[in-house]
Amino acid sequence: MQELLQQVLSGIASGGIYASLALALVLIYNAMGLVNFAQGEMAMFATFLAFTLIDHGLNYWVALPLTLLLAFAAGVLIQRVVIRPVERAPILTLVIVTLGLATLFNGLAGFLFGYVPRSFPSPFSVLTVNLAGAFVSYRDLGVMGVSAVVLVLIYLLLQRTTVGLALRAAAHHPDASRLLGVRVSWMLALGWGLASAAGAVSGIMVAPILLLDPNMMQTVIIYAFAAAVLGGIESPLGAVVGGVIVGVTVNLAGAYVPGVGGDLQLAVAFAIIVAVLVLKPNGLFGHAAVRRV
Amino acid sequence: MTALLEVEEVRAGYGPTSVLHGISLSVPEGEVVSLLGANGAGKTTTLRAITGGVRWTGDIRFCGRSLKRMHTEDIVRCGIAHVPEGRGILTELTVDENLRLGSHLRRDGPAVIKDYERVFEYFPVLRERRRLSASTLSGGEQQMLAVARALLMRPKLMLLDEPSLGLAPMVVRSIFEIIRTINQADRVAVLLVEQNARLALEMSSQAYVLEVGRVAVQGASAELKGNESVRRSYLGY
Repeated sequence: MQELLQQVLSGIASGGIYASLALALVLIYNAMGLVNFAQGEMAMFATFLAFTLIDHGLNYWVALPLTLLLAFAAGVLIQRVVIRPVERAPILTLVIVTLGLATLFNGLAGFLFGYVPRSFPSPFSVLTVNLAGAFVSYRDLGVMGVSAVVLVLIYLLLQRTTVGLALRAAAHHPDASRLLGVRVSWMLALGWGLASAAGAVSGIMVAPILLLDPNMMQTVIIYAFAAAVLGGIESPLGAVVGGVIVGVTVNLAGAYVPGVGGDLQLAVAFAIIVAVLVLKPNGLFGHAAVRRV
Repeated sequence: MTALLEVEEVRAGYGPTSVLHGISLSVPEGEVVSLLGANGAGKTTTLRAITGGVRWTGDIRFCGRSLKRMHTEDIVRCGIAHVPEGRGILTELTVDENLRLGSHLRRDGPAVIKDYERVFEYFPVLRERRRLSASTLSGGEQQMLAVARALLMRPKLMLLDEPSLGLAPMVVRSIFEIIRTINQADRVAVLLVEQNARLALEMSSQAYVLEVGRVAVQGASAELKGNESVRRSYLGY
């Protein structure tokens, strides 16, 4: 029982990481009807940025928000410079463009920082604390806390502010929003910025666990895909819930299902994706595409 | 009296298909002008040209300023509220959020609150449904929401694209009643596209009848209404 609780808690911590990246995927899916295949690599690159800042002697708690700001700006810039010119292109063009971005960031990180895995500092100790009989590391608690704060901030921005309202309107109904004076193009750029920042959080949280190298996010992005699909690819709340469910499920499967261990956890994520697509294609929070005539 | 909106020799179309072959019309300040004609005559395209939803040549001036090459969102910010074909309801959002998008650019807080009061007085059903998803509204309620949202934009000019489409006669009457009230109380000019010519001519002071992308007849609404041959050949009643 105690071990189960422990596994669940550490699953929630990984879930927070997946949730952030899944939220990034959902934000961009809403803005352009397509998942951004470069999301993981953008997050990885931002993590290298944070690494460089901390390496130059900046305090972690200064480097973290600073990196998120830079990631936000980079996201906006990428939308304006790279995505906007092909906005109306066929979906396959957009897929190729985001795949190109992924390759670009991966190569650039390799070129600038090398492929040797680096240990990334964490402000939280790996010591454990006894929580209702289960031992949880401060690091897991810290990951949960930071993810929760970022997710709540993004939620408040989207649901409680005028900008968030305009952003949601622009993502779902660009033409009708323009007629209400919403600057749709800038709202989409804002969506890219937010997604980029949310992704950066997941990179920075996962780096102390996985070690930082240019391929670090390539498994994380699969879990994030699973989370986003499970939540219903259009729903930000679904991405968060999906992230936690994926985190816990994968962790439990690794611990209790014979043969899964640490090696086949990724297969569990794929199994979740396939199962959702077969059984409930709209996910937990997605709406079926219904049109009234 | 100067015209609020002037459309001059506007040609527009979709890709290789041209729909408007040189349309000219004007809407004076505070007046209701109706735009009539059969399906495919170019009524909707005229409205879309005004708010930049379709490329056009010629000239369109609003408040004395040319709208050439302006983006839709900037044209709208000049004071034009366009209730498009299909009403433009954001069905993913709640009724309240739809209304808030109408007023989201305004900086005159107290006046906005008053306008909300008025909107709910005109359309009590919207107050009851505030927190519900706009997709749960009936067709008539969605049309009310669209007009209410346009009112909250505090425009100088409203473009209404077939507000009566698909609605029960009772509902149509009450919506037109309120459009008239808005026009008279706030001096909001209206350019009204309607299939229901009889209704539109009653509402408006001026009318234009389009035929395959050209203005076929224009004049005072009262005159057109009384002119038997115009009525027979163009308005079909």
